[in-house]
Amino acid sequence: MTAPLISLRNVGKWFKDGRVVALEDITLDIAPREFVSLVGPSGCGKTTLLRLMNGLLQPDTGTVLVRGEAPTPNSDLAMVFQSARLLPWRSVLGNIEFVLALRGLSRTARRERSLGLLGAVGLRDFAEAFPHELSGGMQQRVGLARALAVEPDVLLMDEPFAALDAMTRETLRAELLKLWARRGTAIVFVTHDIDEAIFLSQRIVLLRPRPGAIETTLTVDLPEPRWETDPRADPRFAALRADLWNRIHAMSRDGAELEELAYAFDPGTTKGI
Amino acid sequence: MSDSNTETARPIHDSTARAAKARTRKRVLLWSSWIGITLLLLVSMEVLNAVAGKLVMPSPVDVVREGVGMTLDGTIPRALGQSLTVLVLGYLLAAVTGIGIGIFLGGLPFAGRVFDPFVNAMNSTPGAAFIPLIIVWFGLYTEAKIVVVWNAALFPILINTAAGIASANRDLTEMAQSFGAGRWSLFWQVMVPDALPSILSGLRIGAAISTVGTVIAELTMAQSGLGGLLVAAGNRFQMDKYFAVVFVLMALGTAITASLRYAERRLGRWRVSMSEDH
Repeated sequence: MTAPLISLRNVGKWFKDGRVVALEDITLDIAPREFVSLVGPSGCGKTTLLRLMNGLLQPDTGTVLVRGEAPTPNSDLAMVFQSARLLPWRSVLGNIEFVLALRGLSRTARRERSLGLLGAVGLRDFAEAFPHELSGGMQQRVGLARALAVEPDVLLMDEPFAALDAMTRETLRAELLKLWARRGTAIVFVTHDIDEAIFLSQRIVLLRPRPGAIETTLTVDLPEPRWETDPRADPRFAALRADLWNRIHAMSRDGAELEELAYAFDPGTTKGI
Repeated sequence: MSDSNTETARPIHDSTARAAKARTRKRVLLWSSWIGITLLLLVSMEVLNAVAGKLVMPSPVDVVREGVGMTLDGTIPRALGQSLTVLVLGYLLAAVTGIGIGIFLGGLPFAGRVFDPFVNAMNSTPGAAFIPLIIVWFGLYTEAKIVVVWNAALFPILINTAAGIASANRDLTEMAQSFGAGRWSLFWQVMVPDALPSILSGLRIGAAISTVGTVIAELTMAQSGLGGLLVAAGNRFQMDKYFAVVFVLMALGTAITASLRYAERRLGRWRVSMSEDH
């Protein structure tokens, strides 16, 4: 087996001076080119895990290594968020050029690569448009293009399609799979949509809350490429789905308490600039 | 029953045409109300003039005649020039220092907290309270008046700038950090542009206060400009001249606020459309 791209060893993270344990004893490897989904009820620390991986947060226990080194936001990782988080005062092109400027690319190189990526996500004609002129799905494509622009080894995606309508979501999932197959970027994909996780990923990491920990890891053994035939018709899809469904429902009987935890974990209240 | 049928069968362009017609009707109504109210005010002036005499209220006709006369003999243009000099220089000074200090206080949260009570204390003190001090320090003439205007307009600009930066969108700052933005680019390329709408409303409020500051300075210090004309006409009970100057001030203030509102809309366009979405 190849050396892992991202390697987490006994990672723990707590908030509010240790009163809230967000994650406990997480050990997980992500291989190059792998597509891994993190699934679990709200409050299980999925997003926190992503933030640890790209160095926005530091673990309180254990180690997080990317290519054998502690990650910084400058490592070869790129985030895609649930809302596209585009700079509203910059054009679509300007938004992609912004992150390339942070990486120190020359003006012409920025322009060239940004236009190429807008082509890849089918938004070449919208280069000069402003984010508010685009639909939610188009904004999310720009977010994806922006992340791909830095040519990352890993894409960290935090429920990127959760706020979109079902139709757009379907289209974007298929496009994401195609981009992934072509570029060979590893993807860590956070979602609470079980179907989405099975459809997209090679491996599903199921997390449980209170404190966030790995419940189990499942391998998704479905034929590739998945965008050509609907894998949902496959009996293996149904079996995996039933398995995940049962496990999640077993842990989330107490819905109200889970929701409370989701608030407690809100990193917005715990992280300074 | 046949009514509801024709209603549903009506083509779309018909309903848009109806909406356009409704809009036109509303606009006509708005303008005729404005003209009507203006006429009503002018007629009341005339009536008050006829009943109580020109010491209480000048006739609008006299006001216009005096206004034209003072414009043609150069009195109003000269006064307007003096006032605008004070206003523009004081305002620009306030804009530069207010935005500068505001960026500093907004960008360094600790400094912001240290200076917050002092900024608030200064902001809560009526600008006129400092006029005697400014007279002692800077005298009675143009430079002292510029200081009065600067002092009045500084704080709304400063406070809005600092608040806009301090409340920068966390989603965007986190995004920029996740792509490796350092403090410098995070600040200048994300937080400051994000604060632009707030800075612009500070500038608009500051401009409105600047006109007030200008007239107060001209009334209380060496009399000059439009404020000086007000005092001169008032002291001689020349109410027609007095009203002519008041109308000029009214037009000036309206023009300044309107143009800044326009700039605010243009530069903050993205923000307006964003808030419509949510």
